[in-house]
Amino acid sequence: MNTRVIKENIQADITITPVSKRSRIIKENLTGYAFISPFIIGFLAFTFIPILASLYLSFTNYNLFASPTWIGLDNYIQMFTADPRYWKSLKVTLIYVLGGVPLRLAFALLIALMLNTASRAVGLYRSLFYLPSLIGGSVAVAIMWRNVFGDVGIVNILLDVLGIPSVRWFGNPTAALWMLIFLSVWQFGSSMLIFLAGLKGIPKSYYEAASVDGANGIQKFFKITLPMLSPVILFNTVMQTIAAFMTFVPAFIISKGTGGPLDGTLLYSLYLFIQGFEFFNMGYASAMAWIMLIIVGILTAIIFTTSKYWVHYESEGGR
Amino acid sequence: MKKLLFSTLSLVMVFFAGGCGDFDLTDSAESKGNEKITIKIAWWGEKPRHDYTLEVIELFEEKYPTINVEPIYSNWDDYWKRLAPMAAGNQLPDIVQMDMLYLKTYSENYLLEDLTPYVDQNLIKTDSISEAILSGGKIDEHLYGFPLGLNAPAIIVDQNLLSSGADNKPNANWTWSDFEKIALQVHKEKGIYGTNGMKSPDVFFSYFLRTKGMNLYNKTGTGLGYEDDQLFIDYFDMQIRLLDKGAFPRADVTEQIKGIEDELLVKQQSAMQWVYSNQYIGFLQATNRQLELLPPPGPGQDAGLSVKPSMLFSMSKSSKHKEAAAQFINFVINDIEANKVIKGERGVPISTKVVQKIEKDLSPAQKKVFDYVNEVKNTNKKVDKADPLGSNEVVKLLQDVSEQILFKKITPAEGAQLFRSEATTILSNNN
Repeated sequence: MNTRVIKENIQADITITPVSKRSRIIKENLTGYAFISPFIIGFLAFTFIPILASLYLSFTNYNLFASPTWIGLDNYIQMFTADPRYWKSLKVTLIYVLGGVPLRLAFALLIALMLNTASRAVGLYRSLFYLPSLIGGSVAVAIMWRNVFGDVGIVNILLDVLGIPSVRWFGNPTAALWMLIFLSVWQFGSSMLIFLAGLKGIPKSYYEAASVDGANGIQKFFKITLPMLSPVILFNTVMQTIAAFMTFVPAFIISKGTGGPLDGTLLYSLYLFIQGFEFFNMGYASAMAWIMLIIVGILTAIIFTTSKYWVHYESEGGR
Repeated sequence: MKKLLFSTLSLVMVFFAGGCGDFDLTDSAESKGNEKITIKIAWWGEKPRHDYTLEVIELFEEKYPTINVEPIYSNWDDYWKRLAPMAAGNQLPDIVQMDMLYLKTYSENYLLEDLTPYVDQNLIKTDSISEAILSGGKIDEHLYGFPLGLNAPAIIVDQNLLSSGADNKPNANWTWSDFEKIALQVHKEKGIYGTNGMKSPDVFFSYFLRTKGMNLYNKTGTGLGYEDDQLFIDYFDMQIRLLDKGAFPRADVTEQIKGIEDELLVKQQSAMQWVYSNQYIGFLQATNRQLELLPPPGPGQDAGLSVKPSMLFSMSKSSKHKEAAAQFINFVINDIEANKVIKGERGVPISTKVVQKIEKDLSPAQKKVFDYVNEVKNTNKKVDKADPLGSNEVVKLLQDVSEQILFKKITPAEGAQLFRSEATTILSNNN
């Protein structure tokens, strides 16, 4: 009797299972999609469709108010052949990226190394060093930076004390750009945290073994720390390069939205903004945005291709 | 991220421009009578203007208790950057303060309401306003902006900073060589600059061209209004001569000026300051010293000086409370109490009745502006018209070129060529 009931139950189970399982899977999937739907909808509405729209706009003459008119490749042609300010802004941006990113990473690594030595107050220091990045891209900092580098700002006072002639930071295109680079270097916090995590992941035994063999600090840094950290360096380099390319707020605030003096701080995003919202050439601005995407893509690809020569992956047996 | 942000914005704009344009909620609140309606008004300016405009709004709300006015204000640069996205989203405030530089851009894109019907219905009273002045806000017979006041280029002089000696003082009939001589003399004796940086270059270069019978733009707005680049070269050569001798501020000095409190004249570092006449009121406040207001040097002042609407009030096409907006415009133009608060800071009032009524409340110094503008208006009957499409880009170009000249990156001759070729492209593309 008991066995029969059990058997029937089993039988029932066997017959029902395929259906219920499938419906359960569907239901589970639906639940999953429901949970990620805020992102999916947001991504489609606020990222994907706008990207497509900007691609379309880049082939049009669009002044923000009237409906766009198709002009084919004219925006791109004008950009490359008839707009000296475009090339100027590209040059300024490249200097900013190529000058700023390595400096920032080096600085971040240096601080991370210092923080990695065991100390009781390390948590406090870590927070303090991260602080500039928390308030980093904000308007307030850029305004403060204007004053720090003003004619009678603290930087010039310090230079004076050191006997170096003071610099008119806002009056010289090169100096103004370096002021922006210093600002970006100062906001090294997020890269520093990632470096710090990477440093913690390097097994102590390597250093101990090296010490036993008589290696000094510099040798340990170049033979152990750097190779072991190289995946993290790669990650930071890529992320920081992309971020640097899109810098807008500091240049906007420091130059009062002009990119001056003499277009010295005319970063790519700033020029894009000026074209779009000041000159009402939104089609042209969209075209600029797409070229920027391509440039950033190429740069990232270059970094990744070279990475096989200098990034050391533990899991691949040191290759 | 930034790129995404921009593309998002443009999408949002497409949505608003395309989708919401057809919704019409006109007068839904007004028709209900007692319910309070809200109109938004936007303007640019510095702090003194913000302060008194808020006062004017209070006066207005007292008089029209059913209308609530919501202010939106910022400085000149930010103002236009905020306005553009609002316009693209069909969300312009009911009343926007407009400049001659942008009047065409906004009106030709169907963003502004023609004010003629409101004038005809006497909602905005024009009985003591001359037709000629009103025409300054017109584009092809459509009144897209109501002039708030009148302006003319001028020079503020601080007599105490001039060098001694009778022939070293400017007078109303002076010439460019007098100007140069006086500036150099000031520098030699007092060690300060003779003049400020003559910014913005478009204003005073235009004046210079007009004294020669030319204009910055041609009549149709499709190109520049002068043929001979020597005019451009002469104008900037003069600045370079003064610059080389230390009587004209270097570009890196003028780059530091962020507001009226940084101006060289205010800091007693320059004896002369090129301005629009309404700025005189602000300089009086900022310096608290005795200042003179003089016409810029000639010859040809009569042709060079003409009055221009200093700014205008435009009504947005998307406004849902156009009658209330018209009432506000009328209040600012015609109300005596309001104008006693404004004191001509937005330019000399265009209503002769208002001028009469408030003149006795003005200090002798403030009255100087009224007299100056009056004289210009009587000598030259012409009232400046709206600048052509793309002029905001041309103005930026001229600022860039003059900066390069003053930084000595290019010569005035190279600058003249660069300006001509690029300005012509911009103007012919736009018109």
